[in-house]
Amino acid sequence: MKPAHGEVLQGTLDLMVLKTLEAMGPLHGYGIAQRIQQVSKDLLKLNQGTLYPALLRLEQRGWVRSKFGVSENNRKARYYSLTAAGRRQLKTEAARWERMAGVITGMLAGTEGA
Amino acid sequence: MHRWRVVFSRAWGFLHKGRLDDQLQEELQAHLDQLTEENIRNGMSGEDARAAALCEFGGVEQTKEIYRQQRGLPFLDVALQDLRFALRGLVKRPGFTIAAVLTLMLGIGAATAVFSVVDRILFRSLPYPHDDRLVSFGLLAPIERDEFTLGAGYIDFRKELGPFEAITSMAPGTTDCDITEQHPVRLNCALVEQTFLPTFGTEPLLGRNFTADEDRKDAPLVAILSYGLWKSRFGGNPDVLRKTISLDGKTAQIIGVLPARFEMPTLRSADILIPLALDEAQQRKTAPGAVLRTFARLKPGVDVRQAIAGLQPWFELAISGAPPEFRKEIHLSVRPLRERQTSDARLASWILLGAVFAVLLVACTNVANLLLARATVRERELAVRAALGASRGRLARQSLTESLLLGLLGGAAGCGLAIILIRVFVSIAPEGIPRLQQAGLDVRVGAFALLVTIAAALIFGVAPALYRPSTEIMMGKEQIGARRGGSLRQILVVAEIAISIVLLASAGPLLRSLWKLQNAPTGMETENVLTEQISLGSYNYKEATQQFAFFTDLEARLKRFPGVTSVALSDSIPPAGQMRSTILAAVEVASKPALAEGTGGPVGWRAVTPDYFRALAIPIIAGRGFRGEDRLPGENPIILGDTLARELFPGESAVGKQVRLFKTPDGPWRTVVGVAANVKNDGLVTNGDPEFYLPWKNDPLINLRAGYVIVRTRMNPKSVASWMRSETASLDATLPVSIETMSQRVGKLTERPRFNAMLLCLFASIAVLLAAVGIYGVIGFLVVERTREIGVRLALGATPQSILKMVMSSVARCTIVGAMLGLLGAWFCTRLLESLLFEVRAHDPVMFGLAIFALVAVAICAAWVPARRAMRVDPMIALRYG
Repeated sequence: MKPAHGEVLQGTLDLMVLKTLEAMGPLHGYGIAQRIQQVSKDLLKLNQGTLYPALLRLEQRGWVRSKFGVSENNRKARYYSLTAAGRRQLKTEAARWERMAGVITGMLAGTEGA
Repeated sequence: MHRWRVVFSRAWGFLHKGRLDDQLQEELQAHLDQLTEENIRNGMSGEDARAAALCEFGGVEQTKEIYRQQRGLPFLDVALQDLRFALRGLVKRPGFTIAAVLTLMLGIGAATAVFSVVDRILFRSLPYPHDDRLVSFGLLAPIERDEFTLGAGYIDFRKELGPFEAITSMAPGTTDCDITEQHPVRLNCALVEQTFLPTFGTEPLLGRNFTADEDRKDAPLVAILSYGLWKSRFGGNPDVLRKTISLDGKTAQIIGVLPARFEMPTLRSADILIPLALDEAQQRKTAPGAVLRTFARLKPGVDVRQAIAGLQPWFELAISGAPPEFRKEIHLSVRPLRERQTSDARLASWILLGAVFAVLLVACTNVANLLLARATVRERELAVRAALGASRGRLARQSLTESLLLGLLGGAAGCGLAIILIRVFVSIAPEGIPRLQQAGLDVRVGAFALLVTIAAALIFGVAPALYRPSTEIMMGKEQIGARRGGSLRQILVVAEIAISIVLLASAGPLLRSLWKLQNAPTGMETENVLTEQISLGSYNYKEATQQFAFFTDLEARLKRFPGVTSVALSDSIPPAGQMRSTILAAVEVASKPALAEGTGGPVGWRAVTPDYFRALAIPIIAGRGFRGEDRLPGENPIILGDTLARELFPGESAVGKQVRLFKTPDGPWRTVVGVAANVKNDGLVTNGDPEFYLPWKNDPLINLRAGYVIVRTRMNPKSVASWMRSETASLDATLPVSIETMSQRVGKLTERPRFNAMLLCLFASIAVLLAAVGIYGVIGFLVVERTREIGVRLALGATPQSILKMVMSSVARCTIVGAMLGLLGAWFCTRLLESLLFEVRAHDPVMFGLAIFALVAVAICAAWVPARRAMRVDPMIALRYG
């Protein structure tokens, strides 16, 4: 199954998760979802379930590690946190994204100017 | 780098599925709960809040599914699932499973057993490093089938190695040698050069090789023990290197022990290696010198053809020293060591391997047929699965898993069968099949069995895997009559018939040739004749007079026994070779010119006592046999074999003529006193060499150390044998003797062809049996499938006979096409057999006819039962319930 709503592309979801974890520290899945929604000011329609395969993928690559802990409402919850490798990955990904965004922005501006 | 992390993590996930699933469930549930609480906080009712949460989350089960695929090893999950399903399927239909596994067991078991035998002949590397560079080189002459060199020539060659990296020599064969200390035993000693072990790249397990100084005449004797002798006589004690043994009365220092896997390049067993001590001066003096077996290691990158070219100059030199009559008939030869060791076993090995693969192929076809029949039965099930979304690949994969499982079961059973078969082979096999005793189910043979199993599973699994259920069956549109897949099954039957005919047509000539061989006249009567082979130790019987005395004593003792009609002594006995041999050119006839050129071919001879001809019932066709007085020292009579008499004295009587032997100008002239009828003296296949007889007496010409006692008796041979044994023991209790009836001795000569013919017949009959089962299965299935059609036909007025005709005609079609293909195959395959046959042509129309007749009969019988069933179909029942 592909991500249902095309709004969130796979690479970008990874980047968002990594960035969220960097900004917020260890967080559980629900927390990450809330944070992403909040930051995107609800413009982004995140299908929250897709977060979990993404988290697994990041964990398998060693960018994220998880630990069981107790959540705010006293429930057992799985907390994800960024590893050193994850931090490096975030940096390169962010840089790449910015380059890409710059290119696209420039292109759009150019087209408008023509 | 993180690829390995992912693989590892997936494997971990695969192994801890249950726990991780629980954790995931918990995590997702917590998420949903939090979302629901959030929604309630925002003012929704409980129901709505939960629905909205689920909506926001977007499919719990899908998430889980994606997550699981990401976490574990999905292909393995599917494989396991397929396996479980396949296993359940096999257990549910025990009849089908047992039939398929038994069929495969026969095929794979036979293939594995034969492979384990021929592997050592054809494929497995010899127990020397870089064995592909080892060759046997030297001269080939009409009287010698293996390469040899002569001492003087060898010494010349040793100085520059030409195309070789190393060369070495050994004395031909092994010699008897006795350990003469407490517990004396007779052993085989091999005389080898100091370069022998290094050339074969072998290091002694213990101790060292000979030094060049020890490999010299008059050097103190040293010995290297075989692993077996070291274990049996010295208990595997490493102290053995400080010990000496006394060999034929001489003290020898033990300097080394050979590794367990070492074998002589001639494949003879040798217990002890002692230095050859080739003496250059003596070899030159007696030029051309002693006969040697020579082996070499080729330089890297040099092949046999280049080696032959490189040896040419040496060869010219070597034959210039040979007697002139030999020169034209001597060839230079370089053969890979494996070829020398296995020359005559190779063809038979390939043929058996081919036969057994043919059997395997028939077995595979049968299983493919079974599976196809099952696929038709399961058509509905498969169609349902396809309709529920199983892709074609998925169904094929499932089907292949089943085949593979079936194959592995059959393969495991086959390995069991192979172990039994190998035991049987080893116990019934004749002597002289190289390395047969080592055959067994080891890792290599096991790997072969596995490979064959997988290949077989693919072969018989591919047709059912490609079988595609028609979805029409779901709509109730059942076809009347044969469904698709029927023609494929008929093709398989055709293949079975063709292969069976090839096997039958190959086994037939072999059997017939065996029968002819067993009934081939040998020129003597072998019934009621006992032979005793005796070889006197050189230590206890040093002098010829001692040896002579022993044999004459024994002869006198045996003559006394009642029921013994004649007792004879001889230095060799027919029909196996091993007689002494000279050349025709060495037989001079008084008042006739010598042979113009060439050797005239080999001439065999043996020394016999007067009773020899009576004991073996060889007729004297002219003159007389030997008499008692011919054994006196001054007498020089000779008896010629019929062929030799005709060659030497064409058109006249040989009796009374004078001949002189062995090119000895000062030798005695011998008077031909008689001519004996021909006997086979070089195996049963050829007519043998011309031969002559000399009287057995105390004469330096005659080998008195080893010989045969031949006894013709009117009594039970068994009791005479035990009495011969005790008489011999009363003369010398330590002497090893072997007593066999003459019939046994002759029988041994047919053992090899019998072994080959028997195995080929066994495989042919297995193939025919499987083909019969295959035909029965296919026709039976055809009838069941067409029951409704047959019912309609009968209802519309067809007679049972016409139904029978209809069924049998489909059998006939398969059989005719199969027989034609089989004939074509047999035409090509039997040609390969030609050199194994005796007085039988490979393309024997009678045999081809018999093979076809046999298969047609089998096909009709196999089809008869289902065809009868078809005749008896009740139209009412067929149309109502069919």
